[in-house]
Amino acid sequence: MPKPKVGFYDLTGCQGCLLSVIFNENEILDMLSKIDVKEFRFIMDEKYSGKLDVCFVEGTVVNKEDEKVLGKLRERSKILVALGACACHGNIPALRNFADEKKLDYLKYEKKHEQMQDMEKPMPIAKFVNVDYSIPGCPPDRDEIKKFIKEILLGKEFRNYSDPVCRECRLFENGCLIDDGQICLGPLTKGGCHAVCTTNGFKCYGCRGVTDDANFEGYFRLLEEKGKTDVQIKKHMETFAGIEINEKLKDTEWQQLH
Amino acid sequence: MFVRCLYSTEQTKTKCLKINAVQQKLMQQFLLKKGDFSKFVNTAIKDSDFVAPVEGSREKQNTRPFFREISSADEIYLGRKSYYTVKGFFFRENEKIFGFNGNKIINPESELKDTIYFGLRRCDLNGIYHQDIVFLDENEDPFYKARRDASLLIGYHCREGDDYCFCNSMELVDFFDLMFYDKGENYAVETGSEKGNSFVKKYSKFFTKADNAVSDEDRKTVNRKKLNTADIKDDYDNDDWKKGSDICVSCGACNFLCMNCHCFDFEDDVEFDLKAGSRIRKPASCQLRSFTRVAGNHVFRNERNARFKHRIYHQLQYFRERHNVQFCTGCGRCIEGCPVRIDWVEIINEMKK
Ligand code: SF4
Ligand code: SF4
Ligand code: SF4
Ligand code: SF4
Ligand code: SF4
Repeated sequence: MPKPKVGFYDLTGCQGCLLSVIFNENEILDMLSKIDVKEFRFIMDEKYSGKLDVCFVEGTVVNKEDEKVLGKLRERSKILVALGACACHGNIPALRNFADEKKLDYLKYEKKHEQMQDMEKPMPIAKFVNVDYSIPGCPPDRDEIKKFIKEILLGKEFRNYSDPVCRECRLFENGCLIDDGQICLGPLTKGGCHAVCTTNGFKCYGCRGVTDDANFEGYFRLLEEKGKTDVQIKKHMETFAGIEINEKLKDTEWQQLH
Repeated sequence: MFVRCLYSTEQTKTKCLKINAVQQKLMQQFLLKKGDFSKFVNTAIKDSDFVAPVEGSREKQNTRPFFREISSADEIYLGRKSYYTVKGFFFRENEKIFGFNGNKIINPESELKDTIYFGLRRCDLNGIYHQDIVFLDENEDPFYKARRDASLLIGYHCREGDDYCFCNSMELVDFFDLMFYDKGENYAVETGSEKGNSFVKKYSKFFTKADNAVSDEDRKTVNRKKLNTADIKDDYDNDDWKKGSDICVSCGACNFLCMNCHCFDFEDDVEFDLKAGSRIRKPASCQLRSFTRVAGNHVFRNERNARFKHRIYHQLQYFRERHNVQFCTGCGRCIEGCPVRIDWVEIINEMKK
């Protein structure tokens, strides 16, 4: 089998996701010997404009330029992969969807504002093109990136880790932050991150997106019992996967909360 | 291992399991001075790995008692039952079952040291007994067996349970190599197996033979909580189960904290050469949707209510019907550890009113 032609690209993001690919330092050479990397600006100068078997896209679409770049990548690629929370759920850049526009007035005095103005609603890439696979997370888990590449090489269909963060959190025998009165999104959020935040005492912000089976009602009830207000919970949830959560909760009071 | 029915006089329903006159003779009783306890533990630590409950650790962001390997008697915490069980030592996340390279199977090498597990409560010990049924009697699992063979189980008897314990409502058996009872100045120590007897012989300088050291009174435990009946066979369609499942957030804590739960999943991991790799076993939870997902992405128990009931029915009915042993040991960890504190014991008690 010829090596698959693979490209790594970024839209608006911090490039942490691309670093997560490289941070597989122990296996990076083995990995690169199995795939034919055509473009990856962190490790090579070459530009490439031909067809790709697998195209990884990092970042959020925040302006028309991003949208155009993404459209072209889609046309050239057999398999398009959303890499990281920005590409998968809009992440921090998409917070603008929930911001009070008046509070952003000050940006008018910044040069950047003109660029941003042509798209008021930064969105995950699946809003613009068909996405074949997602590898969520901020940053994505390097083991999951490796697993994805191996499964593609084997011709298998990649399946994301679908259990909640709580699974790994409990197996590592952590204390539970919800019990300690914090807003932890663990029960609603897809794990596979080795519960890296909660294990280090940080509450989960939901960067890997919502599980198929999240019980929002039960969750709100639980946190309200712990004295959290809807608005506090909403603000917390909007941080990483706000767009996705917003869609799952459309037609509920959630939309009206400020 | 020695198995004997404890509450047969009080609980008429209880069936005594495997009572065996030969084993009865094995049982011996001793006293160990509390003043010698640290010395005893620190001596034993030199010969074997020693696992015991500790109070919690800041580095792990965990202030709840859990089991770990200790290096000094000072670390042991017996104040209340552990929040996390000892299960993780026998049944691990990401256990390599075998490796492969092309057609060649490579069995993982194990370097097992004899391990003393100290401070196990009766509920923990019964949980291990149930794991033995699954991983030794039903199908012998070599990994589990190796760890069990290398283990010595030392119990610590509870005089009083906490807010969540209801062990007296369940039909527990005696299952230990040694059992410690707190008797003020001393620990009364009872042996329950050959292994326990030879252990005492090995450390004989700490133990004094005392034939009536443990009374029936000592063997009792006070529980604040009670499950009125474990018989729920005709209640499957009762709407009351929704009181639990509607508010369950499907986190799986109830399964991961339970000493009995033994469900697992397999995953294959390959190297980048795509030839070598390994098969990995990981604990699973019947409260998670992934648990009953099969080929074609079909999910058998898609409804949270069906999953919730499955857990309780396995704990109270299915296992007993199959193995004639009550599965749930009444430790209450699944209630204490549930972020929502879903109290299925109360749900059943009310359902049965
Ligand atoms: S700390 Fe968060 S992720 Fe961990 S068990 Fe609690 S809710 Fe779940
Ligand atoms: S369930 Fe019983 S044996 Fe277990 S900790 Fe509670 S009182 Fe002790
Ligand atoms: S089916 Fe559920 S309750 Fe039964 S052992 Fe498995 S995880 Fe535990
Ligand atoms: S089901 Fe709950 S109470 Fe019963 S043994 Fe398991 S954790 Fe303890
Ligand atoms: S611990 Fe509680 S919330 Fe979590 S799955 Fe079990 S019953 Fe549901």
